[in-house]
Amino acid sequence: MRGRLDPSTLMLNAAVYAVLAFIVLPIITIVPMSFGENNYLEFPPTGFTFAWYAEYFGDRRWQAATMLSLQVAVLTAIAASVIGTMATYAMVRGARGLGSLFQVLLIGPIIVPHIALAVGLYLFFQTIGLAGTLPGFVIAHTVLALPFVVFTVAAAMSRVDADLEAAAMSCGASRFTAFRLVTLPLILPNVLSGALFAFIISFDEPVVSFFLTGIRDKTLPRRMFDDIEQNLTPIIPAIAVLLTLLSVAILLGAYVLRTRAERTGLASADD
Amino acid sequence: MTAAARPRLRFLSSDGRRIGTAATMLLLAPFFALLIFAFLYPLGRLLAVSVLEPTPTIDNYVRVVGNPVYAKVLLRTLWISGLVTLLALVLAYPVAFVMTRVRGVVAAFVTACVLLPFWSSVLARTAAWAVLLQREGVANTLLQWLGITDAPVRLLYTEGAVVVAMTHVLLPFMILPIYGALRNIPPDYMRAAALLGAGRGRAFLEVMLPLSLPGVASGSILVFLTALGFFVTPSLLGSPQEMMIATLISQQIREVLDWPFAAALVGVLTLVVSLIALAFSKAVRFDRLMRAEA
Amino acid sequence: MVTTRANGASISIDRLEKRFGAVRAVDGVSIDIAAGEFLALLGPSGSGKTTVLMSIAGFDFPSDGRILIDGADCTYTPANHRNLGMVFQRYTLFPHLSVLDNVAFPLKMRGLAKAERHARAAEALATVRLAGYGDRRPAQLSGGQQQRVALARAIVYRPRVLLMDEPLSALDKNLREEMQLEIKRLHSQLGITVVFVTHDQGEALTMADRVAVLKDGRVQQIGPARDLYERPATLFTAGFIGEMNFLPCDAAAVGDTIEVRVGTAGRWTLPAGVAVDPLAPGERALLAIRPERVTLAETGASNVVPARVGDIVYAGAALLVIGTAEDGTELRARLPGAADLRSLKPGDTVGFHFPAEAILLYRAGPAR
Repeated sequence: MRGRLDPSTLMLNAAVYAVLAFIVLPIITIVPMSFGENNYLEFPPTGFTFAWYAEYFGDRRWQAATMLSLQVAVLTAIAASVIGTMATYAMVRGARGLGSLFQVLLIGPIIVPHIALAVGLYLFFQTIGLAGTLPGFVIAHTVLALPFVVFTVAAAMSRVDADLEAAAMSCGASRFTAFRLVTLPLILPNVLSGALFAFIISFDEPVVSFFLTGIRDKTLPRRMFDDIEQNLTPIIPAIAVLLTLLSVAILLGAYVLRTRAERTGLASADD
Repeated sequence: MTAAARPRLRFLSSDGRRIGTAATMLLLAPFFALLIFAFLYPLGRLLAVSVLEPTPTIDNYVRVVGNPVYAKVLLRTLWISGLVTLLALVLAYPVAFVMTRVRGVVAAFVTACVLLPFWSSVLARTAAWAVLLQREGVANTLLQWLGITDAPVRLLYTEGAVVVAMTHVLLPFMILPIYGALRNIPPDYMRAAALLGAGRGRAFLEVMLPLSLPGVASGSILVFLTALGFFVTPSLLGSPQEMMIATLISQQIREVLDWPFAAALVGVLTLVVSLIALAFSKAVRFDRLMRAEA
Repeated sequence: MVTTRANGASISIDRLEKRFGAVRAVDGVSIDIAAGEFLALLGPSGSGKTTVLMSIAGFDFPSDGRILIDGADCTYTPANHRNLGMVFQRYTLFPHLSVLDNVAFPLKMRGLAKAERHARAAEALATVRLAGYGDRRPAQLSGGQQQRVALARAIVYRPRVLLMDEPLSALDKNLREEMQLEIKRLHSQLGITVVFVTHDQGEALTMADRVAVLKDGRVQQIGPARDLYERPATLFTAGFIGEMNFLPCDAAAVGDTIEVRVGTAGRWTLPAGVAVDPLAPGERALLAIRPERVTLAETGASNVVPARVGDIVYAGAALLVIGTAEDGTELRARLPGAADLRSLKPGDTVGFHFPAEAILLYRAGPAR
């Protein structure tokens, strides 16, 4: 079926390329826009300057927002990967019974719109003084990231032979030692890539941060939102480019971890 | 050991392939605690507010549905979400189809393009559309160049802008499930259809399309439900006169400070989303991962 | 033929029971295993043999009963404290560790220093004839080699009992026979007690000192291979071990001799000793005989069943003659390959001769 040049195939390919252009071009236009000299956004941009990047790194408030987002993201990554791994291990290796409740709670944060969760958390956190605080952000983002960590770790755990821990125990290891020395090394790549997903989800998260933000402590997405609304200058595309580079680096890292996991150690023992 | 010692042992210790009940509960505690404290309770409390304040009443909900202004917001949200879903489906299907047919460098290129949106934040993409749809922006220039319009048209802050931008953001969520479903169709089916005399068009319509419907369904549900609750894009690109429900909720909380009403709006949104998700729960396959036998 | 050396531990399984709700996976199993003995637990799937093994290992706590190892009650001791060696069905080597580290793992659990661990692990690898493979990863080894590494890992800390859960079922036939010899050799060399679970009766008979046949959670029979083969104690064991012909008949008279009426083959008089189950006159019974004890003879003579030949299969060392008796029962005779069948062909009627000394008589009906 390849290589046929009849009209219908040509039209199909043309349509597909048009859709791909639709997807890609708006995103790509961000890059040149970040170098424009005027302090309003235009495409194509006039002039060429790195000034906006400089302003981002130099501005105290942008840096504060970035710092806050980084802190939240790192803590979220740690919390989500630890809690998620523990829960996944318990679900796969543990006593049966809570299966359906677990599943419902797991996909809850995915199904329920973020705005519902954002508003609910805002209301609740206001009354207990967590709104706009670092712990508040971390708790909220961990809830959002948990399902993805669980899926990633579960995929690895399902590939680990259940008998491996039993074999380790027959060699004299306690259950925890068996987990530490046998299971954990085998699922570690997935735990780490789950942590990276959690990082990205937290770092880019706009909706919950929007509502939980206080007056002073804004996360990076919240500041970007405000600026897009009120004061759209090329600094936004500049930050977007930097964020994209960071995302690409992180997602590549997660990809490398996962493919490495498939090559070493997880090949099953049949032949 | 006596019979009395046995039940305690079962609870505490493991027996080979499974860890004991105590350990299981301990490991699951943080997960359940977090989800109850920061998901179930806040939502529940919000829904409680919607029916309990200022006095126990369902007035807030009556307002949502009864007041024509707000009812219009609901309908508009459904309408825009539906439109976005349809548009995304029309654009996504050919791409998913071609993805199953290409190999090598072309396949890598197409996949990279489809996944590109995942690497940039939704704020960045929304900002890009804001620029493209400006009066002096690329879209207007293109329209005039193509001769469709004579002068710059107001594109930004319209329903159209919201539809286009949301389709752009949600397109990958439609492409990937359809691609997954198409990929799972064994090539023998199409060959069998050809052998039995079907032309390519018929074979596609009668064999491939029906078999890809599960993917179409999951993608559509995903896009539709996400679009219903979408906040960033409608708030930044839409006009205040043509709000979607998320923007309305935000306005009620931050400007009007009418909590009970906002809570009712959230309640309606969550209810609609949950009902649709429940009805189509077969299309959501997360349980497969958890089914690992220990 | 039980080897009793000081290196093995005795195991006593005392009225073991394991219930899953209403299902009894193990229903009152009692077996005494002598120190250094090689015992096979043989049975079809669902017979409870793996559950018994897991109870000895400590991976399954029984609902009732006790497990005693060298006289000490270990019923509820956690698996990692029992100091037993175990080999699993699918090798279960740690994929992220080298072969040497795999074998050294139990020594690491026991707190040995690295140098000594590695030295002893290398020794164990030499014992299973895999010296020099220490640096490889499990995935780089063949199935047979992996199973040998698993063996090395199970014995490196000199346990007194070795438990094996169908370890050879994942290997292909030639490899299996080679490994059977390997395991037997290891057993005589080390003198440890071995409990070996299998569903392959040929394997059990060739390897074990004694075989315990299990069905539905109960022991049908336990004894040396020859006893099991030549005088199976139950109908199930008779049919499960080796090939057996079963011919329905009626017990006409029971006394110093037993008279049976065999369909249209007349009445046969048999010595009382052939009855494995006690029989009452008039009871339906089953005549059992091994195919290799059956010979061909003229119809009409005593102890001969006429049958129509269905198939004659030549298999090099043996000839298999399959025939159908008048009541529809299929009968098989295994003759030496060189036997002269005088141009016997399918469709002919021939007599299947059942020598009285080779006959076993069982009560017909569901096996206990």
